[in-house]
Amino acid sequence: MRISRKTQWAVRLFFFVLASVLLALWFKENIAALPRATYLTGWLLLTLMVILTVYNGRKKIPFLPLATSKGWLQFHIYAGFFTLLLFVAHIRFRAPTGWFEGSLALLYALVMGSGILGLILSRTFPKRLTTRGGEVIFETIPVVRRSFRERAEALALQSIPEAKASTVADFYAQELAGFFSGPRHFWQHLFEVRSPLNRLLKKIENLNRFLNDQERDVMRQIADLVRQKDGLDYHHSLQLTLKLWLFAHIPLTYSLLIFSVVHVVLVYAFSGGAR
Amino acid sequence: MIISSERPERWDESTSFGNMSEADLDRLLSLSPFKEIKPDAFPKRLPLRGILQHDTRLRKYSRGEIVVRQGDHGTSAFMIISGEVRVVLQPELPASILGRKDTVRRSLFRSLTQLWSNSKNPETRQPHELSLGDEVASRQADGGEVRVVLQDVPRVLDRHQTAVIEAGEFFGEISALGRIPRTATVFCEKDAELLEIRWQGLRDLMRHDKNLRQRIDQIYRERALASHLLTLPLFNALPPEKLEKVIASAEFLTFGEYDWSGDYKRMVKSGSANASDKEPVVVQEGDYVNGLVLVRAGFARLSRKFGRGQRTLNYLGAGQHYGLQEIAHNWRKKNSTVPFQNTLTAIGYSHVIVIPTAIIEELVLPAMPVAQLPPLVETTAQAGDSTTGAMDADMMEFLAEHRFFNGTATMLIDLDQCTRCDDCVRACAATHNNNPRFLRHGPINGNIMIANACMHCSDPVCMIGCPTGAIHRQTFEGEVVINQATCIGCQTCANNCPYEAIRMVEVRDKKGRLLVDKDMKSILKATKCDLCVEQFGGPACQRACPHDALVRMNMGSLDHFAQWLK
Repeated sequence: MRISRKTQWAVRLFFFVLASVLLALWFKENIAALPRATYLTGWLLLTLMVILTVYNGRKKIPFLPLATSKGWLQFHIYAGFFTLLLFVAHIRFRAPTGWFEGSLALLYALVMGSGILGLILSRTFPKRLTTRGGEVIFETIPVVRRSFRERAEALALQSIPEAKASTVADFYAQELAGFFSGPRHFWQHLFEVRSPLNRLLKKIENLNRFLNDQERDVMRQIADLVRQKDGLDYHHSLQLTLKLWLFAHIPLTYSLLIFSVVHVVLVYAFSGGAR
Repeated sequence: MIISSERPERWDESTSFGNMSEADLDRLLSLSPFKEIKPDAFPKRLPLRGILQHDTRLRKYSRGEIVVRQGDHGTSAFMIISGEVRVVLQPELPASILGRKDTVRRSLFRSLTQLWSNSKNPETRQPHELSLGDEVASRQADGGEVRVVLQDVPRVLDRHQTAVIEAGEFFGEISALGRIPRTATVFCEKDAELLEIRWQGLRDLMRHDKNLRQRIDQIYRERALASHLLTLPLFNALPPEKLEKVIASAEFLTFGEYDWSGDYKRMVKSGSANASDKEPVVVQEGDYVNGLVLVRAGFARLSRKFGRGQRTLNYLGAGQHYGLQEIAHNWRKKNSTVPFQNTLTAIGYSHVIVIPTAIIEELVLPAMPVAQLPPLVETTAQAGDSTTGAMDADMMEFLAEHRFFNGTATMLIDLDQCTRCDDCVRACAATHNNNPRFLRHGPINGNIMIANACMHCSDPVCMIGCPTGAIHRQTFEGEVVINQATCIGCQTCANNCPYEAIRMVEVRDKKGRLLVDKDMKSILKATKCDLCVEQFGGPACQRACPHDALVRMNMGSLDHFAQWLK
């Protein structure tokens, strides 16, 4: 019998938390009192951080037999959380002092925070994208958007000679041209707020009372395009966020590593072998 | 006055196959076995002369030219008009002679060398990758057809055991009728004239000429059926004398169109790809259970009436069977017999073997342990010999509509897990000349996307018609790969592939310059997913997916798929 992925995840998380608690208790009882405990936790932390950083390098050389990316990510998540335990033990459960220590701690917090954010995004956004439908490759979004805009513009222009009035074209120019010209409502899509789309559709509905049958038909087609464009913007917002968080996580990680190496040099330069 | 044409439709579509002049036809009809065939036995709309005119063609082969290659999927049989050919018995000809490539998985060191040896330009080819070697050459025959020629025939004859096939004899008929790979390589030792008969013509000739049918049936029973039945658990425990009885009683039937790829593409364009009501019926729900249906080649859909249509329950591929449950039920419950519970239809093309009910009852069922007998019909929720596990009907229809059951390494993406990071695409590009061999896009059902990647089909229609044998299976029933050295860029495979998973690319040298032929035209090569046969560790796409969203799966087993869906 195969256990579902959700159950596997829950079981793994349970054992990880249990192991962490036991390890923390054991550490407090046996290691914290040792004279060089900070060195031990520090080196362990640095080693883990280096291994965690190497994951990005592994992605660039898929032809080497370096285990699966899935395995690396699992390790990355659990070892990442484990560094939190090590970090807290390393700073001896106290607030950092001095600008360098403070910067180092802040960098660690940012890396850890961006990592947790990425984990949440990667566990929640895919389902939202699938539920919304209209799957599209991110790189092709501008092309699809342009085709929507061209179709909408053609419909608006087409209505002028047919209805002998520019009501639809004017409405398009005032209310919809901006909407079709680029990605819109980034944050609203991110937080699943539908009001911008509803507002636009309401405006289209209000306009209908001033249109004849031909124009209403054109407007109905434009409304369809508005919905499709809104779906495209939704994919753009979520897919872009899924890509962008890594642009924060990775540079912060390298910065943290550099600061950590400097920290090690400073420690060995000025501690005089104490503790 | 309106004159209606009586010519069958298939000849309208396929006049390009036959090349017979009236004189050729007269000559052919004076030769055995055609002179013994009675033209009166053929219907008016399908006359003997018409079949020979439209479904056969004369082909001249020169010394050293390969006629058929072992492992190729051919659609036609051959008869020798004059001269003789040789069939290679053993040892088999090496892959290099057959226009193929012996792919060897990279060692760890060779994997490492990719760090510095991979070109930065897309689709680059090294000179050695495009070299044919000195054992074979290609030659353009009349009509522009490219043929592979053995350079050293005496050496081949010296090193390989061969047998002569002489004028008047047939070869390739089993492969043509059964849609199974050619079992041996045939080449010309001397110049020869052959008659190529496409499978439709051979089928019609057999249908209306008893002698030819008996002759080919006999060959089929002797060479193909026994070995096939022995691979099936149902028959492999039978003693030889009982197996002979089964073989003698078997009936062979072919449904649908052999070249279904073209039909399927047309259906997709017209939006009627899921028109199960148009599929040829193999077995009808409610009919008397006259035999066990074994699928030998192609695919069949198992469905049941639902409302005004048919609901797909399962699909059967080569090696699977239908009807055993009903036969076993009737054998055990003689007072409450049941008819066929489902309808079996051919999807595209099906070649089936029917073993009569009486033979199954007499020889097969008594030999089966009671525990292995299929359950009684009333006791099961789903009739049929295969279970569909947790698969919902919607997904089943989706798989059947798009014919994804053909794939042995179908790329499935769980969109609920996929973060659209494209690590899979980048990994593919990094391992394949900086150009991904698939598109992370394709039909979607629920949260499952079937990406546009070669599925390494169990029925690889792309392999039909490759003039040089460049597209081939890596091993028996293994990955379908393309030898870049012998690919001539004719696009036959790309046009044949019903899933459009093969792309033609312009190749470059290491400096990024386009390679051109003597007419200054870009050199095209067919490219597709090769399942990373050369790479250490298997498919890079699957290994690169951080979220376990992408898998390559054999759709021949729905149980695995159903488990993965959970």
